[in-house]
Amino acid sequence: MVPDPAAPPGVVCTGLAKTWAGGLVAVRPTDLVLKPGQTTAFVGPSGCGKSTLLRMIAGLEQPSAGHVLIDGKPPAETLRKAGLSVAFQDPSLLPWRSVRGNIELALSLARRPVNRASVDQLIALVGLQGFAEARPAELSGGMRQRAAIARALATEPQLLLLDEPFGAVDELTRQQLAQDLPRIWEARGTTTVLVTHSVTEAVMLSDRVIVFSPRPAEVIADIAIDLARPRSAQDARQPRFAALVEDVFAALTRGAALRDAALAAQ
Amino acid sequence: MTPGPMTPGMTAAQPRPATGSRRAGLAGLGVIVLGWEALGHLLGGTFLLAPPSAVVGYLVENHALMGRALAATLTNALAGFVLGNLAAIALAALALIWPAAQRVVTGVALVIFCLPLVATGPILRVLMGPGDGPQIVLAALAVYYTTLIPLLVGLRAAPSSWFDLVRSYGRGRLAALVHVRMRAALPYLFAGLQIAAPAAILGAMVGEFTGAERGIGVLTVRAMRGLDVEMTWAIATLATGVAVMAYLGIGLLARRVLTDAPPMILAPPAEPRGRSAGLAAALLGAVSVLAVVVLLWGGGLALFGVNPFFAKGPEDVLAALFWQPDAAQTRATLGEALVETGVLLIPGYLAGLIAGAGLAIAFTLLPRLAITAMPLAIALRSVPIVTTAPLIVLMLGRGAVGTVALVAVMVFFPTLVACLHGLRQTPGQVTDVFDSYAAGPLQRLVRLQIPAMLPAFFAAARMAVPAAVLAVTVVEWLATGIGIGTLMALSASVSDHDMLWSAVALVAALSALGYAAVGAVEARVLHIYAPEQSR
Repeated sequence: MVPDPAAPPGVVCTGLAKTWAGGLVAVRPTDLVLKPGQTTAFVGPSGCGKSTLLRMIAGLEQPSAGHVLIDGKPPAETLRKAGLSVAFQDPSLLPWRSVRGNIELALSLARRPVNRASVDQLIALVGLQGFAEARPAELSGGMRQRAAIARALATEPQLLLLDEPFGAVDELTRQQLAQDLPRIWEARGTTTVLVTHSVTEAVMLSDRVIVFSPRPAEVIADIAIDLARPRSAQDARQPRFAALVEDVFAALTRGAALRDAALAAQ
Repeated sequence: MTPGPMTPGMTAAQPRPATGSRRAGLAGLGVIVLGWEALGHLLGGTFLLAPPSAVVGYLVENHALMGRALAATLTNALAGFVLGNLAAIALAALALIWPAAQRVVTGVALVIFCLPLVATGPILRVLMGPGDGPQIVLAALAVYYTTLIPLLVGLRAAPSSWFDLVRSYGRGRLAALVHVRMRAALPYLFAGLQIAAPAAILGAMVGEFTGAERGIGVLTVRAMRGLDVEMTWAIATLATGVAVMAYLGIGLLARRVLTDAPPMILAPPAEPRGRSAGLAAALLGAVSVLAVVVLLWGGGLALFGVNPFFAKGPEDVLAALFWQPDAAQTRATLGEALVETGVLLIPGYLAGLIAGAGLAIAFTLLPRLAITAMPLAIALRSVPIVTTAPLIVLMLGRGAVGTVALVAVMVFFPTLVACLHGLRQTPGQVTDVFDSYAAGPLQRLVRLQIPAMLPAFFAAARMAVPAAVLAVTVVEWLATGIGIGTLMALSASVSDHDMLWSAVALVAALSALGYAAVGAVEARVLHIYAPEQSR
């Protein structure tokens, strides 16, 4: 069967592991299957290796063992077709380019035609209308994150990899961004991976939450989030939501205890 | 948040000099001109100092001659500026494409930069004849290193996530170069170009000292020989004014082109990632640099088929120094000259460093004074001090004091500017911590501001080594008649080419070693006080 090129891809990680040059183990061998069109959140304590896992899926980091297949092909092939986008924790906007310039850069890096009207539309979609010509230094932290998301979406990726995209802003702005932006890619049916250490954000945005242990990363829990979409801020007060958040917290606590026990045994 | 075009006032990343500080700088300049005028009248008839009114009078009276000379000098300076900066860009590109070569590229570039212009000038004059060639080459030699170093820093100055971004769209090193590195390096390139502009004028003038036909360097020599005080002051003022204008002009251009200000300090380039920085690596680097220098030197002479009577290769210099019958005599002469130079050079260098850092520290305790001094110091940093050597000789005489003062002044201004800048880098939050303990200004200075200043201080001290050597050799050659500068000039004029090339090799090696030694101290200091810069 030939997969439809426009359909979102599935991601399969087999025995995926990373050990740094100094011998530091970042990710233990991990098997994961991410279904097409689903949003999966990676949750774990800071520095546990979940970002490394994401970077291996993105093809930005070479695994020490195992492999990643995106739609049955290695990430390098998806990269060549510019079939995925990464949004980084730091918005990584080029300071000398305007919001429009940064979005257009992504398009030209991806060898896609630059259509002024559709860039304008995208800028409006992330709530930055009127700021197309502003440079990053003129924007607030939240506005920069919006611009970075707009850039990631500009190439209409089938696979979207978000590395704590709302990490560098205050809590209120973070909630606002988590309200506004995910609707855009949810509507497109993109396969999405979200790395975060906010448990409520993970539950609010995902179809599935994978909880990792402290470093080296190891899957501790795989929790399906069966809440109806679209979700709103009010849904966070539902008992079902609270129960799922509780499940994720319990898994995180279990992971920390596991590591402490391992340390005590040494 | 009102949508709409941004007003220029919102560009937070662009620190423009406030009009207040610019006004203060102009006021400071006014005070200096008035003082100079008064002193000129006070010392009238002593053949020391011409007041500004006399300088302006002379320039107006001789505007045709001055204009022709200035045009000749500026044409050569411009040609050297373009060639030197192109060479710097090519070398930086080489180090980027082939990271393993960076240490050797910067090392060889440093040795060539350390060649004493007062000797390369006469040698080039012999090789290239009486035309504009030597002036252009010296101008290029005077500029390329101060562009190469910031450029190497700038090409690696972008955060790694920008490169991840490029890779995440499946693009490689070429796209990263075009879209990220080249633009990120632009402020650093401008920092180099800004320093290069006055340096090119200096290089062209030193080239003219060696027997050109036209140019303000030629007129400088004529004025000094004729003890023409007005002409000497007029030329020095003209050269200074043009150099400052070139410096400010490139600064203005930089502010129009860039979104953020060019860096003030020429930080050392970090070794490319994955290179070891141990003693063995350093030793290997030094040996490779030496090998490449010898290869370029010997190979260059052979390739261009230069007459072996005045072109001496590395083996000739070794023979002259070690196994010719008169080798002991040659060594003694060189040693004596080096000692004569060293006893003036080292105190001048240290005095310049101490005065620059000391004044910067004094300014932080008297911030009102700093507002006036900073713009003036930045402008004066661009003065090619060597072009004012005749003035210092006029005022302080041909003895030791004049030489020490010239070297000190050469070192002083860049050090002052770097230290003032470094003192401003004190992180605000740490300052708040000190305030929360009610620490006094002296406490804050000693425990916080001076440590924060050290990286800038050492960067300035490192770059000042070749500058100090240039100053001392030029003043010896033009005026004092002692030391290694004079020895090189004498050897050139009596065609003792063994001695000349030996002296050149020795001076270049010693200044490169001095630079490396200060760089080694700097690396240790950065490791302690600014680990983020010494990766």
